[in-house]
Amino acid sequence: MIVCVAVVGHQNNPLYLQSFTEADDALKLHHIVHCSLDVIDERVNNPKRSAPTLNETFLGLLYPTENYKVYGYLTNTKVKFIMVTTDLDVKDADARNFFRKFHAAYVDAVSNPFHVPGKKIASRSFGVRVSTIVKSFGSGTTG
Amino acid sequence: MPPLTPPKSGDALFASVDRVNAELFTLTYGAIVRQLLTDLEEVEEVNKQLDQMGYNIGTRLVDEFLAKSNVSRCVDFKETADVIAKLGFKMFLGVTATVTKWDAEGTSCSFVLEDNPLVDFVELPDTCQGLQYCNVLSGVIRGALEMVSMKTEVTWVRDMLRGDDAYEMRVKLIKQVPEEYPYKDDD
Repeated sequence: MIVCVAVVGHQNNPLYLQSFTEADDALKLHHIVHCSLDVIDERVNNPKRSAPTLNETFLGLLYPTENYKVYGYLTNTKVKFIMVTTDLDVKDADARNFFRKFHAAYVDAVSNPFHVPGKKIASRSFGVRVSTIVKSFGSGTTG
Repeated sequence: MPPLTPPKSGDALFASVDRVNAELFTLTYGAIVRQLLTDLEEVEEVNKQLDQMGYNIGTRLVDEFLAKSNVSRCVDFKETADVIAKLGFKMFLGVTATVTKWDAEGTSCSFVLEDNPLVDFVELPDTCQGLQYCNVLSGVIRGALEMVSMKTEVTWVRDMLRGDDAYEMRVKLIKQVPEEYPYKDDD
């Protein structure tokens, strides 16, 4: 089950942060998201030698804590999507699929002429779409 | 005299004109509206300016429409409205409108658009609630009909950006202005 998704801009400014769990955990989740930004920066600045990872959008598992797994995705404009989940067995394909749909929703939200790039995403329909994608995340794994 | 070519159907017309990428069109229109809001700051002013822009476009558009579509003279306003909805909207926006809610005299009707390429991806922010985003369309219709001697008034009844289920504009024919010549025949 996904507990939190976040969109962070290229200057590490938060653009969208949404938790899908009880409010008292929210602060801890935001903290986890913040820490994972450091992991992304490290991955981006010290690329592995093999060529495919240089233009890889899906960053994969960033770091596992005792309860959560954090996945990252980097767009070519250096906007980062972060997903925190409590599932212990997340298939790679599911995570990629999730980020692909999330990326499509993000692109539509940013195409709104009233959205100012660099400011927070204020679109209500983006929030609705994200909730739908998050809800359908778990059901893809069940047979 | 060469035989007159029959009027084309909406789909054939749409296929015969040059087309542009829909996203480019939508994003360009969005940029225009944003810039007007930044320059004029008043939502009412922006609405007026969009209508004026639409009027200027409409006066030029009607010639292109009549040249490409080969429609014959319309007998009455009902036929005019049908032609605009089926051929005009299809040719320039790629969508058809439906004509509904005729009043008793046949001078006032509504165009209903389920799908509007101008407003893809758009969400009105809370500061611009009075904005009529598609006002350019009402200007286009007013301008085009004025060039064919019909004075009309166009208003928006339903707007999906405000939460309604479709776009509806009410077109009212005020009067038909017969062509005036600037000189008298007797002189």
